[in-house]
Amino acid sequence: MSEWYLAILIIKEILNKIIFFLLFGVTFLGQAQQENTSYKKRVLETSELEMLFSYYSQDGQNAAVSGGEGTEELTDATSTLVLKMPLNEDDVLTVDVGISAYTSASSSNINPFDGGGTATPFDASSGESRNDVLAYFNPSYSHSSDDRNSIWTAKAYASNEYDYFSIGFGGSYTRLFNEKNTEISLAFQAFLDSWNPQYPVELRGGFEGNIPGYAPGFTRFENENRNSYSTTLSISQILSKRLQGSLSIDIVVQNGLLSTPFQRVYFGDVEDFFVEDFQLADDVERLPDTRFKIPIGGRLNYYVNDFLILRSYYRFYFDDWGITAHTASLEAPIKLNDKFTLYPTYRYYTQSDADYFYQKEEAFSDFAFYTSDFDLSKYSANQYGFGLQYKDIFTKTKLFFFGLKTIDLKYSYYDRSNGLNASIFTLGTNFIID
Amino acid sequence: MRKLILLFLVLILSSSCVVIKEYEKVYINDAEMQLSLKGMDRFETNFQIYREAASGANGGKSGGGCGCN
Repeated sequence: MSEWYLAILIIKEILNKIIFFLLFGVTFLGQAQQENTSYKKRVLETSELEMLFSYYSQDGQNAAVSGGEGTEELTDATSTLVLKMPLNEDDVLTVDVGISAYTSASSSNINPFDGGGTATPFDASSGESRNDVLAYFNPSYSHSSDDRNSIWTAKAYASNEYDYFSIGFGGSYTRLFNEKNTEISLAFQAFLDSWNPQYPVELRGGFEGNIPGYAPGFTRFENENRNSYSTTLSISQILSKRLQGSLSIDIVVQNGLLSTPFQRVYFGDVEDFFVEDFQLADDVERLPDTRFKIPIGGRLNYYVNDFLILRSYYRFYFDDWGITAHTASLEAPIKLNDKFTLYPTYRYYTQSDADYFYQKEEAFSDFAFYTSDFDLSKYSANQYGFGLQYKDIFTKTKLFFFGLKTIDLKYSYYDRSNGLNASIFTLGTNFIID
Repeated sequence: MRKLILLFLVLILSSSCVVIKEYEKVYINDAEMQLSLKGMDRFETNFQIYREAASGANGGKSGGGCGCN
């Protein structure tokens, strides 16, 4: 409990500093803008600040860190700030920063023997490695043409956590035509990531001598980089006064270290070794160093009446690891009055297993690729959600020089057919900066 | 797959059939009708990317980050 309190205090302190610097920037830019006397309607009239917070909790019994058998306990608290600033009539700068503090069994059971208790895959070790922090920074800049029919966007991304660093960049071009009834967009993104690989403690050397007979044929990964490139083509179309839809296709190519270095694998043809109640790894997962993914998604939104709107989504996905997946979701915003809206949502997901997925001790040591990560197994999942939004279109409620626009609160429950379940609470507030 | 490509083409071709004027877009311009993900949804999309093999084509990230916890 005290660790969480400390994590929240640290997040609060960092966010306070970020808010100060961002607001200083807004004030400075605002003064600079006053010199411009153009009468063109702005793309964004005033600066907006979105403050988001989520708390995620999951549990299951198929942890990849312990070879597909063991606790998947994980909690994560994330705070995010998104500031949108109009730089002039045509340009908008968006700064998206966030910090996430998590506690996970997958981190702690990299070394299950440092917690003081009896080591077992069904309990998360209480050692130091159980906590980590992820921080990210995601600025983007967009420019709209004078007729507002063309939009250029450039974006960057950087994130850091103990064993992983990610840096990315991208851009998009959007064209509206047919009296803004049709929109076509082409986007590109690249992420150049690097691992600081954390291997299971028993594979780092030193264990072989202490456990008679234990001699895993383990080798470290040579390539510690992971690159991802994606191209997205999307088209949206107004189909009637109450109906609009969109279709989107991504082409994603990944290469480099696509395995997770601390996820254990137990072979069926190798003798088992234990320390306390914890089985020592035969190897870590080995996955191909390339992956090609194609998701195709479509949205259809229908304005039923002034009280009800239907928002639907479907996605078909396939990749060259043998996985095909279907996702379907429906959200039905119900407007109770001009201030309150309810959001019941339902989502269904199903996937086939990867060619390289094996349950514990089903893989053999002479296979080229193997994993016991149940995120790559065959399963289906149901997700039920319920949200409430309060909207103040006149932003009457003031907090310093922020005018409150909306408050959103949402809860979702995720239930997977192989036993994993999760809950997520999300709180979002949207302010206009006077 | 073929059906989706066909639907894609129908959407493109239908753009010449339907023209809703700006003053007729009162329903289309409603905030709930937006086709992109809402800011609040990013956290759910994020954990789905971590827990599920499929990702992309929904406005979320399609790479970057290990997604290993």
